[in-house]
Amino acid sequence: MTNFLIKRAVTSALSLFILVVLVFFLIRLTGDPASLFLPLDASEEAKEKFRDLNGLNDPILHQFFQYFSDLIRLDFGISLRRAEPAIDSVLRGFKWTLQLAAITMSLVASLAIIIGSIAAFRVGGFFDRIVTFFSLIGASAPDFWIAIVAIVVFSVGLGWLPTSGTGTIFHWVLPISVLFIRPFGLILQVVRGSMLNVLNAGYIKTARAKGVKDTPIVFVHGLRNAMLPVVTVIGDQAAGILNGAVIVETIFGFPGVGKLMIDSILQRDFAVVLASIIITAVAIFVMNILIDIIYAILDPRIRY
Amino acid sequence: MKYSNYFKSVLVAILISLPLSVKANDVTIVLSEELDIVDPCEASRSNIGRVIAQNVSETITELVPGKGLQPRLAESWEDQGNGTWRFNLRKGVLFSDGSAFDAEDVAHSLKRIKSDQLSCEIGIKYFGGIEISTNIIDAHTIDITANPAQPILPLLMSVVTAMRSTEPMDKYVNSPVGTGPYTFDQYLRGMQINLSANTNYWGGSSAVKSAKYIFRSDSSVRAAMVSTGEADIATNIALQDATNAGTDFSYPNSETLYLRVDNEVAPTNDVRIRRALNHAVDREAFIGTILANGTIPATGMTPPSTIGYNHDLRPFSFDPKKAKELIAQAKADGVPVEKEIRLIGRTNNFANVQETMEALQAMLQDVGFNVKLEMYEVAEWLDLYSKPYAADRGPIIVEAMHDNANGDPVFSMFFKYATGGAQSGRDDLKLDKMIADATAATGAKREAMWKNTMAYIHDEAVIDILLFHMVGFSRVNERLDFIPTIKTNSELQLSQISFK
Repeated sequence: MTNFLIKRAVTSALSLFILVVLVFFLIRLTGDPASLFLPLDASEEAKEKFRDLNGLNDPILHQFFQYFSDLIRLDFGISLRRAEPAIDSVLRGFKWTLQLAAITMSLVASLAIIIGSIAAFRVGGFFDRIVTFFSLIGASAPDFWIAIVAIVVFSVGLGWLPTSGTGTIFHWVLPISVLFIRPFGLILQVVRGSMLNVLNAGYIKTARAKGVKDTPIVFVHGLRNAMLPVVTVIGDQAAGILNGAVIVETIFGFPGVGKLMIDSILQRDFAVVLASIIITAVAIFVMNILIDIIYAILDPRIRY
Repeated sequence: MKYSNYFKSVLVAILISLPLSVKANDVTIVLSEELDIVDPCEASRSNIGRVIAQNVSETITELVPGKGLQPRLAESWEDQGNGTWRFNLRKGVLFSDGSAFDAEDVAHSLKRIKSDQLSCEIGIKYFGGIEISTNIIDAHTIDITANPAQPILPLLMSVVTAMRSTEPMDKYVNSPVGTGPYTFDQYLRGMQINLSANTNYWGGSSAVKSAKYIFRSDSSVRAAMVSTGEADIATNIALQDATNAGTDFSYPNSETLYLRVDNEVAPTNDVRIRRALNHAVDREAFIGTILANGTIPATGMTPPSTIGYNHDLRPFSFDPKKAKELIAQAKADGVPVEKEIRLIGRTNNFANVQETMEALQAMLQDVGFNVKLEMYEVAEWLDLYSKPYAADRGPIIVEAMHDNANGDPVFSMFFKYATGGAQSGRDDLKLDKMIADATAATGAKREAMWKNTMAYIHDEAVIDILLFHMVGFSRVNERLDFIPTIKTNSELQLSQISFK
């Protein structure tokens, strides 16, 4: 396992390096930050001064090696827009996104696994049909529409919840609910499908023949063996949220890293874009390693 | 007992987490975008100005809608000749940290907005190409000299925010200290900014004792926040969200929408073609449909409240027949009227921009122009809108909105129309001279010269397709006594808000 972890860390670092190189050069092809930062009427002299001040006139390779040598010292550069270290902006946003992802995915995983397993056990029954119907709607409904409708109904109409923001636990209800719906529908369908395969396996029939009760059949014998594809999809969905739940962050005013990243791309704030990408990439690499470890725990046949 | 304690604890936890009720003298303002920098030298940027300008940091003079230029930190000013103006500063003014405001602070603020180590928008936008020097006569009197001389220097001082002479020349400040009626207390980045009343303020107290600014980029959410009482003022709400006549105010927002036409490339270098383009547009059809009621067809680049705006000019009539005749005349003279014209729009520039651009394209096509619509995000759009233009660009028409809330056309005309202007589509020595002369003139002469310049641009040279003076919407909680004005686009003075 140790060897595996070292190998994964090395390959992840290599991937991260390639990602940083690509983003560093590609984002510089997308436009001049001086034109976006300075007023429209700025003279070419003012733009030149801005570029000089921020090292944008240096040869591109010089900029890259400078950036990389700073990065090795964990110096991610200064945000052009915010006049503060880029890493401060990113970590501040990432903290919110991480909380949002952790709470949402915990709820999604636990509820989807339980409900999906029950639906599979009673396949074709009323509960299964209802669950399938609503999970398919959830998996296909657009986030932005659900978010706006939720605000109109629960905040403006009923007055039960605040429209947006982060001040109290009530502020978290709508964003988490909206973020919950799509991965919940998707993972529930995966759990159901995977459980259907497992519940028809020989060892389940044997367990039934031996008189094992339904609950242990589903949640002990069946679920563990059905979990491998489910863990993969959970990891994929969690990575999506870690990358930034942009729609939810935008509509509910959550100061997460997704909105920060989009804003920084539009403003050509290179240091923040790169810092956001590095931090989220590292988080996703770590999560993928954890998923590999979970695979090994769930299925002892998997050896690293 | 054990369970009852548990439930009590849960209840207390929930009650603690409930939003605190809004205090009577506090206001919450929801803005459409977060502030990146809060340095007063950037206060001319609208999102920063709405929080900082005249609330935290005051300007030397102040342009008041309907009243013209008024004293603020300077009580009076006089022209000393040779580009020098003397400003007599208000006595007894303190910064919110208790230090006294004096001429040294004004001199430092002027130097700082032009600092090489910063990129202050006020310095770049309003003092680009102007050398400023100061001579402190005494603590409350300062001579300011502009080179070249600026007849409107007192007006230019209405954008200069006063900062302490101790503020660094090479670093933006994160917690500005000003002389304004409010102190900048806290910025929780991504979440909120808190201001509270400045007890040292020279102008007395205001009804609003504290203000919280929060940021929501979605217009419908901003509007909903006022409806639910979570906020008191929501700025920049979209037309489709302005549904409550009791709380939603429309006001001219100092933006002018226009199509910049390239006057140097065929076929749009022919005045008949530019006239045809103007006659092809049915301006009235936009108003009350995809643009708000109250939108005004434009005949000038600046808002009608600007001095020198020529109110005698009339928008081009919607006359497709005339447009077709003009195209036919040009074609007969060998103008390549069939050439494809690129119509460039900027995504997210204003509500319904896509629909507006598609309608414009259809109108131009209806009279026979070969128009291709291209929509770009801001960085790509800027490359097409601002100089240097590509040599092989071909005929190009660029949609843009121009903001001038500063009361004088000088802030627009050079950049948009002079040969050296960054977004000018025309090289015209006659117009260059008209702009230079009007810029140097004062009083009634200045006003008349700007009027003539606008008439030349609109009626004679037909340089571009002026479309609309736009309106903005803000939703205001019914508990407030506050009506947004043309200045709300760039500043929102808390001291002008009272409670019903």
